[in-house]
Amino acid sequence: MAIVAQSSKFSTYGRPVLAWAVGLLFFFPIFWMVLTSFKTDADAVKPEHLIFFTPTLENYLNMTENYDYWRFARNSVISAVFATVFTLVVSVPAAYAMAFNPSRATKDVLMWMLSTKMLPAAAVLYPMIFLAKGIGLYDTHILIITVLSLINLPIAIWMLFTYFKEIPKDIIEAGKMDGVNTWGEIKEILVPLAWGGIASTALLVFIFCWNEAYWTVRLTTIDAATLSKLIEGNRAPEGLFFGRLSAVSTAAVGPIVVLGWFCQKQLVQGLTFGAVK
Amino acid sequence: MSDRKLPRLLQAPAVLMLLVWMLIPLGMTLYFSFIRYVLNSLRRPEWTTPSLSNWRGLGNYEFVLKNKDFLLAIQNSLLIVCSILFLTVILGVLIAVLINKTFPGQGIVRVLLISPFFVMPAVNAVLWINMILDPVLGLQGIAVGNINDLLDSLRSAPIIGSFFSLWPELNPISFRATQTSAYAVIIMVTWQWTPFAVLIFMTSLQSEDQQQKEAAVLDGASTWSQFRFLTLPHLGRPIAIVVMIQAIFHLSLYAEIEIVSRGNGNKNLPYLIGEFANNNIGAASATGVFAVILANIVAIFLLRMVGKTLME
Repeated sequence: MAIVAQSSKFSTYGRPVLAWAVGLLFFFPIFWMVLTSFKTDADAVKPEHLIFFTPTLENYLNMTENYDYWRFARNSVISAVFATVFTLVVSVPAAYAMAFNPSRATKDVLMWMLSTKMLPAAAVLYPMIFLAKGIGLYDTHILIITVLSLINLPIAIWMLFTYFKEIPKDIIEAGKMDGVNTWGEIKEILVPLAWGGIASTALLVFIFCWNEAYWTVRLTTIDAATLSKLIEGNRAPEGLFFGRLSAVSTAAVGPIVVLGWFCQKQLVQGLTFGAVK
Repeated sequence: MSDRKLPRLLQAPAVLMLLVWMLIPLGMTLYFSFIRYVLNSLRRPEWTTPSLSNWRGLGNYEFVLKNKDFLLAIQNSLLIVCSILFLTVILGVLIAVLINKTFPGQGIVRVLLISPFFVMPAVNAVLWINMILDPVLGLQGIAVGNINDLLDSLRSAPIIGSFFSLWPELNPISFRATQTSAYAVIIMVTWQWTPFAVLIFMTSLQSEDQQQKEAAVLDGASTWSQFRFLTLPHLGRPIAIVVMIQAIFHLSLYAEIEIVSRGNGNKNLPYLIGEFANNNIGAASATGVFAVILANIVAIFLLRMVGKTLME
């Protein structure tokens, strides 16, 4: 490889410079949002305060007053946490069965599950509103949690399936010999072995739930409205509120972006169904 | 319990839930698409409750097909999805090849690059359309203003001034107009999903056969032909997967359209359905059926392409 290393100046100087430039370019909008969140609304639209300004925390301190931020944040946390838990409770046994006791239909079932993801949500928009209002669940946490679980179920099952497939069957068989029942198998053997896979599935599902912006916008008004709904409702501030809007946006995406940094690898495996390693 | 029953029992909740989730709302959409069903009608109050006696046959489909917004929405859906796919794949391959070799700060660059993917779509849209692309107050407006100021001062300068006086003033682009707002959506979604493509291509590049590459180098293969004949074929499968996953997500793109283009005529299918659903449920449902058909065409096409490799 020495030949390659010597052969180009690009590797020594060009590549790092270009790579850093690309990285900073992609990060710039986020940086800009964070920077703007420390400006007053007045400063945020003044070209002379583009870079030099007196930083202020007022936008963050007034989030409750300006946007009722914490109510939406609480709703986001409730929906995302419970939807994640519920998704896992349903998908772990299913993926376990598919990975360790596959039948001839298993492949088809998996493909069918994936195909439910391709059903455009908008196609069933009105029936969902109709049903939700009919049973009195419109704009409730239960509804949002259910819908979020359903749309993430296929991805969770696929992810877990690809993790479980990697576990040697013998280990599970050994458990059977020892007379452990199925529930025990899942709890005592599978979960400890596949802990990493289950955790990263949970993390990914949580992120998707948090960021979801179709059903959370269309099936809520106030009571169960999440952060997506809050931001969507303030779509066009006409420049008046760039500062406070940046603050509330930063608060809404900050924790998730940081979480995301820690699950890059799992993201690849999860979203490609293990096909890219 | 027998060996065969238990696995089925464990899968049952997931399968049943997805089955109900698919069949009931979809069945209702199908039903509503064949009847006259509106939310408000003073003239024909009987149409406001779904009933078989309001049967309309294919009337809703005809109505939708004749609606000029429908064709526009399909065109727009395809334009947006295809542009995003094209841009993310090209940028993704280039950036992945660029940052795949070790260099100082590789880890940090990776973290910087992947960040946009985790930003929630609503924030993405609000951030881009207001703070970056706005023609007056956004960075675009400020940049154009600065360039114009600079041109102005150059015009009044001696000697070179006459040269610059030929230059026109720059006009900032308004990304809230019908056509340009589609571009705004393409820009912001490309920004969000290129990192995803990069991440997947990078993962795949790490499993590339290094010995083969070294052999190629010893044989005097140029960087370009190494890329063309070794790297690119190796990336075939990940590219197919990136295309498939993105097609699934972007066909139902909603928040970005809603935030960027509300009311300005730039619609995609999900948005058009939402618009119909404000009153004309029959038309909304017929449009929904078309959306399902479109998604199925794309899905069949994609699953053919990718399906086999998934199950290996």
